[in-house]
Amino acid sequence: MKKPDIEKSLILTALGAFLIFAVGAVMTTIVPPMVDKSFWDAGEHDVHEYTEQELRGIAIYKSQGCVYCHTQQVRKLASDQRRYGWRLVEAPASESWEYVNDKDHFLGTKRTGPDLARVGGKYSSEWHWAHFKDPRNMGEKFESPNGAYQSASIMPSFKYLSDDEIKDLTAYIQTLGRNKNWRKDADGNPLNDYEQ
Amino acid sequence: MKQDTAAKTMIISSVLFFGLALTLGLLTALKFIAPTVGEIEYLSLPRMRMLHTNVNLYAWLLQANMGILFWILPRILHTKLFSEKLGVAMAVLYNLTLLGGAVCIVLGKVQNVEYGELPLVIDILIVICWVMFAVNVFGTVAIRKVKYLYVSVWYTLGAVIWTTFVYITGNIITALPMVTGINQANLSWFFVHNAVGLIFTPMGVAMAYYLIPKQLNTPIYSHKLSMIGFWVISFVYVWTGAHHMIHGPISHWLQTVAIIFSFSLIIPVIAVITNFFGTFATAPRSTRMDGPIPKLLMMGTIYYIFTCLQGPFQAIRAVNEITSKTDWVVGHAHMALFGAFSFYAMAGIYYIAPKLTGRELYSKKMGDLHFWIMTLSSIPFFAVLWISGVIQGFAWLNPENTFVQTLAALKHAHVMRLVTGGGIFAAYVLFLYNVLQTFFGKYADEADAETISE
Repeated sequence: MKKPDIEKSLILTALGAFLIFAVGAVMTTIVPPMVDKSFWDAGEHDVHEYTEQELRGIAIYKSQGCVYCHTQQVRKLASDQRRYGWRLVEAPASESWEYVNDKDHFLGTKRTGPDLARVGGKYSSEWHWAHFKDPRNMGEKFESPNGAYQSASIMPSFKYLSDDEIKDLTAYIQTLGRNKNWRKDADGNPLNDYEQ
Repeated sequence: MKQDTAAKTMIISSVLFFGLALTLGLLTALKFIAPTVGEIEYLSLPRMRMLHTNVNLYAWLLQANMGILFWILPRILHTKLFSEKLGVAMAVLYNLTLLGGAVCIVLGKVQNVEYGELPLVIDILIVICWVMFAVNVFGTVAIRKVKYLYVSVWYTLGAVIWTTFVYITGNIITALPMVTGINQANLSWFFVHNAVGLIFTPMGVAMAYYLIPKQLNTPIYSHKLSMIGFWVISFVYVWTGAHHMIHGPISHWLQTVAIIFSFSLIIPVIAVITNFFGTFATAPRSTRMDGPIPKLLMMGTIYYIFTCLQGPFQAIRAVNEITSKTDWVVGHAHMALFGAFSFYAMAGIYYIAPKLTGRELYSKKMGDLHFWIMTLSSIPFFAVLWISGVIQGFAWLNPENTFVQTLAALKHAHVMRLVTGGGIFAAYVLFLYNVLQTFFGKYADEADAETISE
């Protein structure tokens, strides 16, 4: 087979490889946020603004690498919505506008531990405290109904964090999922008591 | 400066870093079984995980690839490396940068980009190194003494150009203040996927396109397939980033685009694979099993085809529901970067190390043993991750199973993962010894010659 002339030219080969790549690069990085504004604009939705304490919590979440075991996205799948629901109420699927105030997204790729997108308010801050200190033995107060299975958790202990750091981290975790007001009582009153 | 110093420096340091990366992998696997091991902040599971991926990607694989290409390019182009000094300067700066980066990760000074955790300062230094590498690549092509550019050169040029944009997008653009939330997620997965697809794939394929015909002493099977493989991959690969968010909070159409292009990847991959297997099939029988090099190249190619068939099917929505976010993904990533491209890199090092020292490989037998232990450990290593991934994926479908229960079901898989990982490490030790002996050791016949001359 006769080789095409482009294979004689450094410039043509390089330019060809660049241009052909650039089509897809532009279409998948620059075009999507132009077409879908919810990538960066929440529109009429009310999105939580993080307090200073919560921002410190985010920095800890990031530097401790929590995202490598915990995703933050309830996918549009019945199994996800049920598993991460609360008292038989299914968790609403995560939507792109909910993340617009997250300077660092923690969507994640791997669930060695459960998803945290809607974990805010599900457990008391005291529970989180005990869990960070020792995930496999949380003391009498928080004895797990699954008993033996609790010891199967492979989450590292974060007992090396200072008390203030655990408080900051907990404050952030308690905000997760609050952009959708999904936990309501029978009369439709919100049950989100994030300070507990 | 002596010819090939840059290649030699990069190859030797990459081989040493490979050992560190595998050790970190073992430590991570151990923590899955015994989470209380090494319970201090600097050795915590996520930090070790970040260090494991970064050392593997940049300090071992990318460095080995660059070193090997520094040797291969001048041979293909019948010339010398454009600037040996620039190459060595880059090698030194690159290694110092990565050591600094490793310290940053251990201390938790990280960016929130998977595969791009190295902080911004380190990213900028890596970009500088990359520009130095690019100058050398383009320079060497420019001063060539042959008319036509060989396939390996296309892929190298492609890798240099694409990586520049991919790396800057993933590590620097994502850090800009206005890039948040899903927009950032989209860019970081553009980076994550193309780091594998447009950095390691073209560099690995470039090496294989040189090593396979050279080692087997047989011309490449089909030039037409080479062209199809290259031009189609440069078009389709870049579109696939959003397949990391299938069912997730990102535009449905973007997911569909990513799925379609993920599936189209079968075209260039089959073109490349057919070309490699065709070359193997037309090669003289005696060359095909001669020492570790053709075996590593063959096994790398087999892993490449399996990875690239998994990829498209994983991207289908129904399959993705089960496999995504589980151990399956970990198995898939290991087969691409360890199975396919690290095998190619090891073949390249076995090929080049003797040429750099002007003598035979220290021991072909040891090389064969390394190959067999590594292959026979890596197959169950990958398989156990896929199996546990599927178990986990199906277990999650039933909301009656608590999360910790689904984790308890994987205990045996996690033990198997550590054991087979240990096999991989043992094989690495043989590889390391063989390569270091080839570079620095004394050979039996040389020692004899010395005693005689005395």
